[in-house]
Parts: sequence; structure tokens; C-alpha cells
Amino acid sequence: MRTVRKQNLLILGLAVAAFALPAVAQEHAATDVGTLDKQTAGKAFPAKPPYSPYAGRNFPTRPFFGDTHLHTSLSVDAGAFGNRLTPVDAYRFAKGEEITASSGQQVKLSRPLDFLVVADHSDAMGLFPLIFGGDPKVLATEKGRKWYDLIQSGKGAEAAVDIITSFGAGTIPPEIIPLPGTPLYRSVWQDIIKAAEGANDPGRFTAFIGFEWTSVTAGNNLHRNVIFRDNAEKASRTEPYTTQKPLGSDNPRDLWKWMTAYEEKTGGDVLALAHNGNLSNGRMFPIIESFTGKPIDREYAEQSAKWEHLYEATQIKGDGETHPFLSPNDEFANYERWDKGNLDLTVAKKPEMLEFEYARSALKNGLKLEKELGINPYKFGLVGSTDAHTALAAVEEDNFFGKTSSSEPSAGRAMHPFIKTEKATFMGWETVASGYAAVWAKENTRESIFDAMERREAYATTGSRMVVRFFGGFDFEAKDANNRMPAQIGYTKGVPMGGDLNHAPAGKVPTFLVAALKDPIGANLDRYQIVKGWVDAKGDVHEKVYDVAWSGDRKPGKDGKVPAVGNTVDVANATWSNTIGAPELITVWKDPDFDPAQSAFYYGRVIEIPTPRWTAYDAKKFDVKMPPEVRMTTTERAYTSPIWYTP
Amino acid sequence: MLHFLLLGAGLFLLFRLVASDSGAPREIVISEPRVEALAQSFSRTWMRPPTAQELNGLVEDYIKEEIYYREAVTMGLDRDDVVIRRRLRQKLEFVSEDTAATLQPTDEQLQDYLRQHAEKFVQPGRLSFQQVLFSVERRGESARRDAGKLIHQLEAGRGPADPTQAGDATLLPAGLDDASPQDIASTFGEDFAKQIDEAPVGQWSGPFQSSYGWHLVRVAARTPDVAPKLEQVRPVVLREWQFEQNQKLGGEFYQSLRNQYDVRVEGELGVLLEKYKAAGSEAAR
Repeated sequence: MRTVRKQNLLILGLAVAAFALPAVAQEHAATDVGTLDKQTAGKAFPAKPPYSPYAGRNFPTRPFFGDTHLHTSLSVDAGAFGNRLTPVDAYRFAKGEEITASSGQQVKLSRPLDFLVVADHSDAMGLFPLIFGGDPKVLATEKGRKWYDLIQSGKGAEAAVDIITSFGAGTIPPEIIPLPGTPLYRSVWQDIIKAAEGANDPGRFTAFIGFEWTSVTAGNNLHRNVIFRDNAEKASRTEPYTTQKPLGSDNPRDLWKWMTAYEEKTGGDVLALAHNGNLSNGRMFPIIESFTGKPIDREYAEQSAKWEHLYEATQIKGDGETHPFLSPNDEFANYERWDKGNLDLTVAKKPEMLEFEYARSALKNGLKLEKELGINPYKFGLVGSTDAHTALAAVEEDNFFGKTSSSEPSAGRAMHPFIKTEKATFMGWETVASGYAAVWAKENTRESIFDAMERREAYATTGSRMVVRFFGGFDFEAKDANNRMPAQIGYTKGVPMGGDLNHAPAGKVPTFLVAALKDPIGANLDRYQIVKGWVDAKGDVHEKVYDVAWSGDRKPGKDGKVPAVGNTVDVANATWSNTIGAPELITVWKDPDFDPAQSAFYYGRVIEIPTPRWTAYDAKKFDVKMPPEVRMTTTERAYTSPIWYTP
Repeated sequence: MLHFLLLGAGLFLLFRLVASDSGAPREIVISEPRVEALAQSFSRTWMRPPTAQELNGLVEDYIKEEIYYREAVTMGLDRDDVVIRRRLRQKLEFVSEDTAATLQPTDEQLQDYLRQHAEKFVQPGRLSFQQVLFSVERRGESARRDAGKLIHQLEAGRGPADPTQAGDATLLPAGLDDASPQDIASTFGEDFAKQIDEAPVGQWSGPFQSSYGWHLVRVAARTPDVAPKLEQVRPVVLREWQFEQNQKLGGEFYQSLRNQYDVRVEGELGVLLEKYKAAGSEAAR
């Protein structure tokens, strides 16, 4: 105590001295709290970091898990499939409460999520809320007052029926019928905003305002979710952009124009998050723009680079990281592929489409286009999300509540077709229990998580809650992997996932400090890989996958690859054991094939040991026998946002 | 009875009354309020008023939509469409929802609710602690032994000044401040959270097991479960109370509508089902 007080007095004295004395470097100064020499002054203003390792931290210390893509009954297609849950229900569920699903079953997450975006489609609604909301014009009429009082005294049902009756009989006071200038229909958008505001709990849970722009002309998926950093005040001033002309458009360029107008007029902040390139039949990441038939131009690249900092690389309708056709040397590339055609399976897939559909390929082409256009249009980080139309962000393998309310758990859901046309079929069992977005933000608030998304400090998971770090720099050394505070070293000596490395210092190569922690209730980890993509002097793109950390004492084979980790899955009982794999992997890796003249990106891919797939849990719980073609095991993974190297 | 049979027609009447676009059957009148509404919709989307050409396009599109709508309704395309039926049902269900949302309970009502559902609002006790990990990945079998060795040293007063230096590098945080049981479980697993629930304050204890290995833990502070007062949790209690009212109101609303209808099923369901199944197996043969 006395030392502290003395230190405070010293600081006070120093402050006083600074005012009182001439600004000349002095070895000591006489003040009215004693003589201040350099040594003592040094103690008051230490040059070293504080003793407490947790003080002064200014970087994210934990990932926040969430879903950036959930639909409720407000989405017409969700409601049509039997969804009866509202955004309010969706938020309750995400916060960890047990609720009743649309199919009548009780459901609860294993753990709450940290954030949620309810991304419904917008539409017009009715005018009852004007009446119920206590609008002064309404209250001024006798009927209006009567209804309002009925509602307030708990007889709301009686009031509602009376209103409907009055409409039928034509006895609604004319003052109540919407006047010019007042919105004829309360938009569902207002419902969405209200629910988000009600659920948003800064520091504990973040509810983002958002919507889905559902461009799917001729069945080709170009969907983007739009997420607002803003709260109701700004978001209410606009209407979500639709895809129907004349008000809307199915062209992403027009969506970007809408986003520009919104930000300019309101001072707000929005981002766009695309998904399901795998169902776009070659249109999601074009080199030749499908709308014009011409190569994408500088403006397209600028706008894409400006608005689309993240891509939803894994979700219920297939994993979008890469494809075996594009990555023939990647033995983990064939994971939950949905590659038969476009979204409504009206047009079958052709191999030449694949290059413009998958994340890794787009990241590579982005480097190529950067050389030609001066800007990289496909410089995005990666997240996962569900796209569930059940209002339930439920994609754990043993807790998968399906894509639509008609595919909530039941004995027949796996063998019921999801989409079936004469071109192809996607069976129910092919739907994937995936994924979540993990964001490295400093706090659980809209601003903090949104900003982290914008700087791409995020990663995708296929449903597990692995904690994954990925730092790049020129100065990481092997011993950094033993540092008790890996994040501190990571942020100090390098950049986190989503960041940039420029101009390698002479003789130095990119080094990466990588770490992954298994989900506390999940499976052990098999390996941590780094995927590298680069463009050479000729303008050709390349990729390579490196195993950088793995469990046990496996040794890379002659082909440089680490052998498989094994399999403890008991399909019949839908169990596995963590007797293989590792709970944590940390290492430092140096690029052995670096060429400082070539633009490149690196991202981390973490793979768990095999675990039962949701189909195995279904088979056990409903006592059904799945046909041989049904996948019964899975290997959950995480994909980090890349770090880009620019010469 | 009669005016409730109009309920079904009521909705369509509602749209027509309010839209005021219809005159004689084949007449489409685009009223001034309608044009304003179209312009307003555009303005809110694009943050600027439409140009004359744009407004013209909106009106033309609306006319087309009105024509198709009328023709479709005339043909009865709305009658057996599952999507339309479900959508209209949903829109009416919003009515009772909106009602619940405007309800303003008294403090007494909220107090009652809080009392009756106390377990929902209990704020669980929080823990501030440090932990040291002996990683199973790095040490294998000796992880437990190493952890045990250190705790014995600490208990005997022979331990290092800073035990946190004895553990392994890990992404796990070196401790948590003011953490709920949920926070602890989210990071270390539920097992671990349960185990350290009883750990003594102010000293190192363990080893405790998690899926990452063996831990020594030093609890710095523990706060007890708190049953909050209404002022502390009013917004959450209000939200839950409104939710409950919503459920109740929805049921009452449906019941009062249903009471206006004369409903009968043509035959016993069980018998009809057998008939149906028999017909099915006939067809199969």
C-alpha cells in the first residue's frame, strides 16, 4: 500500500514538475515530494510491459462461434415447408434455451452460440400492428380505443376477432385506414429488426440485423447474405434489396450499388457474404462474367474486393472449400461434395464449371486477376454457417435438425429426396450437418465482431468448436511453439488470419505459428495443414497442401504425406473414442518452397479424427438400416481465413 | 354466425378496401396512395426518390402483378395452394403475436412471474481462477504424474514461486475471470467445470482432468448463486412474460375463431384410414 501511494505521489510530483520546470533534459529534479531521479522516474513510467501478463492486452483472446445464415418462418420457403418459428424463437435457441421445434420435438444446443444473423427474405405484411401499437390516430376513435383497451386488459383475442369482423362488415373507422404517407404494410423487415434488437445483449450475445439477397435466376445460385454493423436506427431507414425487378436485381453489381447507397445515405456499414458457389454452375467467382459474357472488369473487381471480405465455405448444402477435380493431390478434398448441378438441379454440372465455384480455386484465380486488373476480386476469408430453414442453428452431428422443418429428425428423413429432377437427385442423407463461423473479436458486440469479419479474422468450422490460431510473419522460430502465450507472440511477431505479408526481407521466408485446440466436448485432432496457392511468372496458378502438425509419432511417407490417423468409430452404436489423435497441436512452419517474386496465399485446415456422421445417429436412434451408399462417418474440419503474401 | 363466415372473405375485402384499386370488375385504377407507396418503397430501398422512368416501370410492374393476381384468384389458384394457405395462416397468426408484444404488465405481474420461474433467472455463481496444464499430447502417460508431483510440492510449501511456468504451452487461457459455469464448460469442458466447482479458494489444488490433460487450479474468488431482484433483470423477465402471453393469446385467438365455425368430419377417422390403406394395397396389386 505505502509503495503504491509513494508511486502515485511521484507521478503527481512529476506532473507538477513538468509544468514547473523548463523543458530541459535533467538527471534529476527537485520537487515538493522529494528528489526525482531518473531511476525513480523509470519506476513510475516503466519501459517494460507490465508484470501482469493479462494487463494491456489489445488483441482477441477467444473466438466467438455463431451462424451468419439462418432462416425462420418469415422466409416464405421456410414457412412453406412447415417452419412455425419466428426470429424470437431462433435467438432463444441460439442463446441455449430449449424450445419446441416446428415438428413438435424438443431441441436444445449443447452450448449457446455467441452470435446469430437471422437472414430472412423480406416481404410485405398486414396493418394490424398500427392498431395494436397504440397509434394516436387510432386511439382517438371510439373503436380504436375499445380495441386498445381490450388488448391491454388481456382480452387481445377478443379484440383481434372484432377487428377482423369489422373489416368484413366495412365498419372500420376511416381514420384508421392507412393514410397516405404512413406505411400501408408493416414490412417483415421491421419484424426482423425488432427481434434482433430485442435479442442483442452486448457482452453476452450479439444479434445482427441482416437479410438474404436470394439471386437464383434459372436456378443458378448467387446468393449473398447482407449483414449490418448498425442497429435499428440506421437499418430501419432502408428496405432490404430484393432480386425482383424493377425494384431489385439478380446481378451482384446491383447489390453492391445498393450497399453503396445505403452507406452513403445513412453513414451505416454493411458487408456481403456469398455462399453455395457449388450450386452456381460456374458463376460465383467468374473470370468471364455470366451477365455480360465478357471478362470481369476493374470495377467488378473493386466492388467485389470492397464488399465481400468473407465467403461461407461450408454449410448444409455442401462443402465449398475445394473439389477433387480441382485438387487431385489433396486426399481430403472429397468432403461432402454437392457437385451435381445448380440449386434446383435443372442444369447438370460440367467439369469446366468447377474452377469458378470453389473457394480455393477462387483464391488462386484472385491472385491471377490481381496481376491483370490491379486488384484482387477474390480476397476473402472463410466462415461456415448453416442456411437452416428451421430457425434452428443446429448442426452438431448428434443434434442435426435438418435443412427444412420437413427434414427435422425422423426415421425417413435420410432416404427422402431433398431435390429430385430428371437431371439428378440430392438425397436427404446428403445434407451436411455443417457449419459455424468462428470470429476472433475482442468483445462480443456487433461492432467488435463485425469489424473482425471485415478484417477477415475468422475461420469456418463444419460444426465443431475447435479453437484455431493462424499467424504469419517472417520471424517465427521453432521455440515460439513452446511459448506459454502463443497469441501474444503471434500478434507481436506477425499477423493473424486474414492479414497481409508484404515484401519479404532479403533472405527471409514466410513463417507461420499455428495452433489448434480440440472442441472440449468433441473429437481429437488428426492434423493441421497449410494450404498454399500461388501464381507464377507466366500467370499460371498452383496449389500445394502441407502437413505441418499432426498427432502421435507418424512419419511422412515417401510422397511427403503423413499417413491416415486411424478410425475409432463404431457406426452401429454411433460412438467414437479419443484414443487416437491429439487434443492440441502447436507448431511453427516455414515455407520450404518460397519464391519472393510470386504472390501467394496460405490458409490453415485442421482435420479431426473420424467421428459418426448424423446419419449414423439417425440409424441408431430410429433403428433404421441405411443403404451402403450413405456416408456414416465424417471428419470435421476448420478452414482459416488466408494470409496473403504480396511481393 | 354470418359475420364470422365473412372472415375468409374479410381478408380479401381488407385488401380491396385498403388498396382501393378496383372499380368495375375489369377496371384497374392505380390510386394516388398506391403510387406514393410504390415511390416510397423505392426511396427506402435506394435512399433516393425514383426518376420518372423508374416510377413508370414500378407502376407498369404493379399493373401486371394486379392482373395476374386477379386472374389467378378468379381461377381459384389460391384455394389449394399449400404455400398460399400457410402464408395466409401465418399472417393471421402474426395478429395475436403483435397483440402480445404491446402488452405492458405491471411490476406486480412481473414480480409474480419472476417468483414462479425463479430457476430460470438465477444467476449462477462465478469463478475467477488460474490453471496450469500438463498436456497429455506433450507428456503422454507422465502428464498426471507431473501434475501430481507439482501439487505435492506446493502443498508442502516447496513449490516454485510461479507455478504457472511449470505447465505446457497451450491455447487454453491461463485462467478465467468472473466466469459462469457455462463459460468454464465452453472452454474446458463440462467435466472440468464440475470438478473445480468445489476447489478451495486461495490455494493451488488438483490435479483435475480435462480432455486436454491434467490441470492444477488456483481459485482466486468464488461468488455464490444469486436470485436477482426484478430491477436487475426486468428486461429479460418482461421478454419471457411476453413470450408466455404470446403463446396463451395465440391459443385463445384460435379458440375464439374456431368457436364460430361448425366443423364436422365425414366419418370416423379410424374407419377412413382403413379404407384408405385398403385402397392403397388394392392399387398395388
